[in-house]
Amino acid sequence: MNDYLTRLAAAPKSFIEERYNAGFEVHGSELEEYYLVTAKRKFEKLRSGVSTLDRLAQEQGVDSIENLDDLVKVLFPHTVYKSYPLSYLEKNKFKQLTRWLNGLTTEDLSAVDASACKSIDEWIDLLEKETNLTLCHSSGTTGKLSFLPRNRTEGHVPNVLMRNLIRDWFGDNTGPDMIENPLPLVFPSYKRGYQTMIRTSQSQAELFGITDENSLYLYDDILSADIASLGGRIRAAEARGELGELEISPELLAKKDIFVEREMVKQQRTREFYAEAVERFGGKPIYMCTVWTMLYEAMSEAKAQGYTGIFGADSVLVTGGGNKGVELPQGWKEMIYEVTGFERAYELYGMSEMTTPFVQCEHGHYHIPPSIIPFVLDPISGEALPRTGEQVGRFAFLDTMPETYWGGFISGDEVTLSGYDNVCACGRQGAYVKGEIRRYSEKEGGDDKINCSGAPEAHDKALEFLINASA
Amino acid sequence: MTMIEQDGDEAVQQVFNVPLIIRGEVIEDYSVDYGGRQQGSQFRSANPVDYIDRIVMTRPSAMADLYSLSIDEIADYLVRLGERLEFSKNAYMQEAFELSKRTSGLSESILRSIYEGMPGTFVKESLLNSIDHTVGIDYLDGWVSLREGVQVRAFGARTVHVIAGNAPMVGVATVVRNALTRSDAIVKAPSNDPLTTTAVARTMIDMDPDHPVTKHLSVAYWKGGDASFEAELYRPKNIEKIVAWGGFASIKHISGYLQPGIDLITLDPKQSGTIIGEEAFADEQTMNSVAAKAALDVGGFNQEGCLNARVIYIVSGTDEAGLERARRFGQALFDAIQALPEEISTPHHSFDPDLKQEIDGLRFVAEDYTVIGGKGSEGAVIVSHDSEQVDFARQLACRVANLVPIDSVETAIQSVNAYTQTIGIYPESLKTEIRDRLAYQGGQRLVSLGGAINPPGDGPQDGLEPLRRMCKWIVDDTQ
Repeated sequence: MNDYLTRLAAAPKSFIEERYNAGFEVHGSELEEYYLVTAKRKFEKLRSGVSTLDRLAQEQGVDSIENLDDLVKVLFPHTVYKSYPLSYLEKNKFKQLTRWLNGLTTEDLSAVDASACKSIDEWIDLLEKETNLTLCHSSGTTGKLSFLPRNRTEGHVPNVLMRNLIRDWFGDNTGPDMIENPLPLVFPSYKRGYQTMIRTSQSQAELFGITDENSLYLYDDILSADIASLGGRIRAAEARGELGELEISPELLAKKDIFVEREMVKQQRTREFYAEAVERFGGKPIYMCTVWTMLYEAMSEAKAQGYTGIFGADSVLVTGGGNKGVELPQGWKEMIYEVTGFERAYELYGMSEMTTPFVQCEHGHYHIPPSIIPFVLDPISGEALPRTGEQVGRFAFLDTMPETYWGGFISGDEVTLSGYDNVCACGRQGAYVKGEIRRYSEKEGGDDKINCSGAPEAHDKALEFLINASA
Repeated sequence: MTMIEQDGDEAVQQVFNVPLIIRGEVIEDYSVDYGGRQQGSQFRSANPVDYIDRIVMTRPSAMADLYSLSIDEIADYLVRLGERLEFSKNAYMQEAFELSKRTSGLSESILRSIYEGMPGTFVKESLLNSIDHTVGIDYLDGWVSLREGVQVRAFGARTVHVIAGNAPMVGVATVVRNALTRSDAIVKAPSNDPLTTTAVARTMIDMDPDHPVTKHLSVAYWKGGDASFEAELYRPKNIEKIVAWGGFASIKHISGYLQPGIDLITLDPKQSGTIIGEEAFADEQTMNSVAAKAALDVGGFNQEGCLNARVIYIVSGTDEAGLERARRFGQALFDAIQALPEEISTPHHSFDPDLKQEIDGLRFVAEDYTVIGGKGSEGAVIVSHDSEQVDFARQLACRVANLVPIDSVETAIQSVNAYTQTIGIYPESLKTEIRDRLAYQGGQRLVSLGGAINPPGDGPQDGLEPLRRMCKWIVDDTQ
């Protein structure tokens, strides 16, 4: 191992202090030893404190990580952070939910008494008040929220990394340093909430020193975890034709007025949001995080109103999420650039469970920094495919950043992994994921599949349902 | 055999040719590639849009030739067909079997026993019973007087069948139903069984190419949802009825083409379950025999069917002693599933990876569930520790059952809804006691435990009588 990898192996979190691009200057063939040393230490450190990891290791007969196949045996399935029974949420069993969560983190939750909680929001607030946990939840498109037990310090990591990658991805110090010199934030979502992206944006705003003067949100208030959960449940029930049987707690039903009102003015608010963005930040460089499909929709409308080159060319656009199954017309990206005035984008592949996103290079490859130890697994046997050539399989990884939860995770995505014995044409070294990524559930679902195309729609459905329930 | 071997990696890819069958004619146009549901299951067939004018039968009077035959004569034709479906002698069926091995969720041993058993279903007496008990042969063969001046007769209809492919018998049964109702069928072959119905049709053409029953069957493949074809096909001038099996998405899709003049008969996606009374715990021997019966309901045909048991409610009690009883039963059930003969059930050759992840996730809630098995593809019994089914109950497949302990049979009755098809019940006395209530809730077939996978051929299906509904009921009213 070279000095750089030796430093990372000794203290994985030092990755955020290192030169960002150093991570892409290590040849793929050098990584294996570093992966093994790092994984071994991580496992030793976390095993005793994360009881579910300990139990999994016992079941699998893994006492220590002697080779990378041992590590694969103790990666968590992607269902782990939503493995609680849904009835915990439906019946307000927050005491049980806390006990379940306690098995997934080194934070001690045994003193938390959540028996009086009447909603998910209340429960997350209680955990935040009484422990170090700043719980993140998924968008819940499958009908159940995943809860990722990050603590305050860990919540900070993705944002420092985001600063580093914005500044250095296109070359050291070629982009703005968002801490030194924050660009105004235009964020077409909620200002506050516990959903991973919103929570990350919230703590990013703190780190970057973003204030009311240099920020604009679609909604200035909070995205309720309860509503996100309800949206998913409604979507799943509706897809099965069982909407009428859904049980909703009176507490949740009581919140409805706020949401019903929100629904009534949603379209108008979206228009106002972009109009306000143009008025306040037009001609200036801005910082925007969104998914392509949402941006496309908004910019189509802006174009129809005659807008072009709205913002400064030095704007930072962070995006990703694929097309979410939506077919966009040819030339859609050019249209977005023309109307926004942006010249480039940071296109990311990531997921809530991963602190470091991968950025796409001009050759369509997502480059994997050494903070993530990646695998592709045979989708049937679950065994790791060799680290040679190009391999297609289920994406899995160990995130080396977390210190209070196990970052070993098997995703639901099918990817093509390469870069151990070749170098991408962009010059970056090490492992990378090739462009095409898809969910296994989409591939195998066939005619019977319940199609989930994203959180915003689930949210809309929830509101629709509440409106009907209150009628 | 029309297999084409292409250069591939280690596994040689075989691409199957699926001919288009239009009313007695075999059209060997293989210009479009289609992908099967699983790896290595690609096939080629025609683009049906090119043949739409011939696939549809716009002249309703062309149905008349079927009326030169009595139902008895049609049954004779089917008996002759059955003889020719003898697996060892029928190259078409052998080829369908080869492709099914790749596309089906059923293992080779189970498929082989199904294909070998097909001729056995063409027994004249049972064919006649199946139509007589559902429609009535008198109504098909002539005008039946209801009272003086009013007569009724059942006529066949021009029908599209969008069939399920999880078991090869569905295509065969469709051919039989079409013949016995004197209908004209356009069968949409399913991607998970593209060749079986075609193979039956080819056998009919070889046997008797000009017979009216042969001439009123077409079999085509198109991708479900292909609007360029479906929008042309589903028009009242072309067809009168659609019989649609399958998933919510596919039925929702078809319903988009409905308009006055088209009758949709849905055989919706359903799930089945089990209710077991406390009598199962009378003694060790009884428990094991009940578990063996439940194993057949769960594991038969690899749990690929809607009639297979998935969630099993058992009156074991829910206190500690009750849970222990449930776990013991769960173990016996798991052992019995493992012991099923290979013609009926085997480990699933492509165990659903998403289901595997769900089962693996339960490891993290050991206080709420006991998982027996589920390490590889052997199947599993998940014992809930309260009276709730698992959140992924709808995904249960590949020989995975969820055993739910309950204190009273009430909980099980309440769980039944309009999407429940078969309910296996033990003991018999319980079935009689609760059957009306299960029917109110939505249950559609109440069967002795162990009988779920053997539906009677001459009864209703999914709470309705598809054969009756496949007919048009015409009245002659003399006033």
